[in-house]
Amino acid sequence: MDLYIQIALIVLAPFIGGLVYGIERVVKARMQRRIGPPILQPFYDFFKLADKRKMIVHSTHAFLGIMHFFSLWFALAVLLLGGDFILVIFLHLLSTALLILAGYSTRSIFSHLGANRTAVSVLAYEPILILVAVSVYMLTGSFDVSSIFSYDEPLLVKMPLAFLALLLILPIKLKKSPFDVAEAHQEITGGVELEYSGIFYEAIYTAKWIDEIFCYTLVYLFGANNPLIGLGLVLFAFVFVNALDNSSARVSYKQMLRFSLTIALPIAFINLLLAIFQQVL
Amino acid sequence: MVPFISSLFLLPVIVSGLVLILPKNLSRVLVIATAVILSALSLYLFIAIDQPLKFSAPEYFNQVVVAADFLLLLFFAWVAIKRKSLLVGLMTLLQLGASIYLFKNPGSENTVQFYVDKLSLFMFLLINVISSIICIFSLKYIDEEDCSNFRKKYFLSILFWFIAAMNLVVSSDNLEYFFLFFELTTLASFLLIAFRKDEISVRNALTALWMNQIGGLAILATIFFINYNGYGEATFTNLLAHAGTTTILLPLALLSIAALIKGAQMPFSKWLLGAMVAPTPVSALLHSSTMVKIAPFIILRLSPALQGTPVAWVIIALTGFVFAASAIGALSQDNFKRILAHSTIALLALMIMMAAVGTQVTIIAALTLILFHGISKCMLFLNAGVLERVFHFKQASDMDRLAESGPFTSFLVAIGFMSLLLPPFGAFIGKWFSIETLGSLAVTQRILGALVIVLIAFGGAVLSLLYFKVIGLIIARKGEHDKLKFEHTSPYYNVTLNILLAFVIAGVIGFPFLITDYFIPVASQTLGQEIVMTTTGLTMHIGQMSLPIIPLIIAFLLLPVTIVLALFVRFKNVDRAKEYACGEKVNYSFSTMYFSTDKATPYFTAVGILFFIALLVVVLI
Repeated sequence: MDLYIQIALIVLAPFIGGLVYGIERVVKARMQRRIGPPILQPFYDFFKLADKRKMIVHSTHAFLGIMHFFSLWFALAVLLLGGDFILVIFLHLLSTALLILAGYSTRSIFSHLGANRTAVSVLAYEPILILVAVSVYMLTGSFDVSSIFSYDEPLLVKMPLAFLALLLILPIKLKKSPFDVAEAHQEITGGVELEYSGIFYEAIYTAKWIDEIFCYTLVYLFGANNPLIGLGLVLFAFVFVNALDNSSARVSYKQMLRFSLTIALPIAFINLLLAIFQQVL
Repeated sequence: MVPFISSLFLLPVIVSGLVLILPKNLSRVLVIATAVILSALSLYLFIAIDQPLKFSAPEYFNQVVVAADFLLLLFFAWVAIKRKSLLVGLMTLLQLGASIYLFKNPGSENTVQFYVDKLSLFMFLLINVISSIICIFSLKYIDEEDCSNFRKKYFLSILFWFIAAMNLVVSSDNLEYFFLFFELTTLASFLLIAFRKDEISVRNALTALWMNQIGGLAILATIFFINYNGYGEATFTNLLAHAGTTTILLPLALLSIAALIKGAQMPFSKWLLGAMVAPTPVSALLHSSTMVKIAPFIILRLSPALQGTPVAWVIIALTGFVFAASAIGALSQDNFKRILAHSTIALLALMIMMAAVGTQVTIIAALTLILFHGISKCMLFLNAGVLERVFHFKQASDMDRLAESGPFTSFLVAIGFMSLLLPPFGAFIGKWFSIETLGSLAVTQRILGALVIVLIAFGGAVLSLLYFKVIGLIIARKGEHDKLKFEHTSPYYNVTLNILLAFVIAGVIGFPFLITDYFIPVASQTLGQEIVMTTTGLTMHIGQMSLPIIPLIIAFLLLPVTIVLALFVRFKNVDRAKEYACGEKVNYSFSTMYFSTDKATPYFTAVGILFFIALLVVVLI
């Protein structure tokens, strides 16, 4: 990909993310036979939140929230610039760490519970991402994301199981049902997000948009060489995740962990074995 | 050069004796002076010596070694009788039998007993500098211990004795000498764990003793095997010279067993966990920074011969398993030192695995991990000592009081844990390299590579969870800090911890230089190949690995610096609000989450035993 396109994408990531989030709300609403908010609603939210009275619990908490946003943006930047895949995963992990630490830093029960659950959900999706990254290495011979684009076939053809594993953990990363324990609105009133308000909440909110761009970029990588396949996969993942969100109830964190480690992890592992044997062949 | 190296051996022994007889103030000066001398010496030696140096001890030294051997074994026998410990007695008998047999049938005449190459110099630097810092710390720590004055001097004396033994271990070539010094470290470990003389200390000390004796027995078996097969001298260099033959596999397996036991890999991890009842300087010195580092050291020494053999594969599988299992075990602990112990075992597993894979990048990763883990764990354990002495708590869940009463200590604990987790600290780079190089292993060893990658990925995620948990405990605070006053602790504590902090920060800033000037030369000599590092733009390449500098710099700003800044930043012109609790006004107290791993632990032990048996079986196939 051209460097200018990459940089443009990085700079515009929050805006694109906002649009995606807005479209998502409309799609979800239409699935529920509602009309839904305007597509630009996330941006209207942004202006409204910026206008609110600034209140924080304490500076550490607010600062960590803002830096969570920036570090997640940075992780996305490294991904879009074609950097080392494992480094990208670690950077994403560590930006989530900032959110977890923010959750632990206040003396709020809901925030604390949310941080606990976010930490557990990290355990649910990270090993699988690393396995997918290593499988990619087996096929392309390099850990750089840019090598996926120079590979001759779309990854989906060679590693369908990896795509399946990624789809299975996408709801965990995007905090959508049935794996949205980290932010369970009805249980822990939003978890870590609760203690943020106004412009500081906007930081967390925008971080969620960037997280979505991150996840859908990972999906796009499976059809990297062919933009049509890539976009098709992204659309498919988008519809799948939202349909699943609309139609399923939340599971407990233990069930989420068990699902991820007994179903998604073996699928990723079998994929890794297949990739290794394919490589030797 | 040889006199300088010998002084690294002799000076601690002399100081060990002097500390027992000198009055307190004089011995303090002596300890600090020795600390400085030892550190300066090891630094000078590292810079000055380029090629491996072989030298031999004077003629009478052989007799001294043999006599010391038997004296040591007689002491162990006395311990076994006095404490009525069957296992210790059994091990001692076996070792006595082997020693007497070897004494009666000596192998060929070996004239060169010591071999000091860059790896030994690397270990010298780590051992002497870290031990010196810990000795200075213990001056104050042991002063506040509830025991007689003589026992306090005895403690310091054994610490120095141990430094001498460690220096000797990493420079011995002759396996008989190596056995003696290995067992001397076991002796030091036993005496220091039992220092507090209560029932649990003695029990754990005996466990440490017999488990490590199995390691010693393995070394004796190696010597026996080499003499029996007529390989020539029982030395490391001789073993390496026979690399590639199938008959060398048994000595390699035996020495690896000794290494794995010393490194507290499962099923032998119980001794390290039990050793945490010892005074904190002991935990810092023996059981995280130096003695357990003998384990990756042995494997690194043997790596040219070990690489690609079935023995290496079993080691890789075992350590991968231990990495994941001990990370899980760490999640169940509340005692701060035990959390650190579990995390030590996990990272040791990673180091041993890297050394066993034996390619250019993995050896560098192993060296990186050894150095930075040593510094970070030392800092964390010394902090545990401060928490114990100054703030009077040992459980991690009590740490939420720390942010208000001890901001500087909580800051140091946070930095300690962050240096194990975050980029661009060395431990992170080591973990990152390890995943990437395991990918290259999987090309040749397919199923093994895949399994180990899963274990590392999973274990890494669990360890990250552990570190988040603990840092989260530290970062909790009630509200804004109005006046951040750093607390005042004794200068012995303050200065040593600050020196370690300086090392951590220097390690970050100097990391690219450390790779070229420090790790690559050591790795080159260990492997016997020239390792070349190229730079394209702002990326460093070694073999197949590339280290992009700019993302790491930005990551450094965004992650550790952020967390540190978060402790001090203050927003102005912003209102404060209380936390939301549905309108209730109850006081909440927070702890953290724990996972109960009791059901899993027997399985872990069983799997560990299976691996050890596999290690020996694979030699026969």
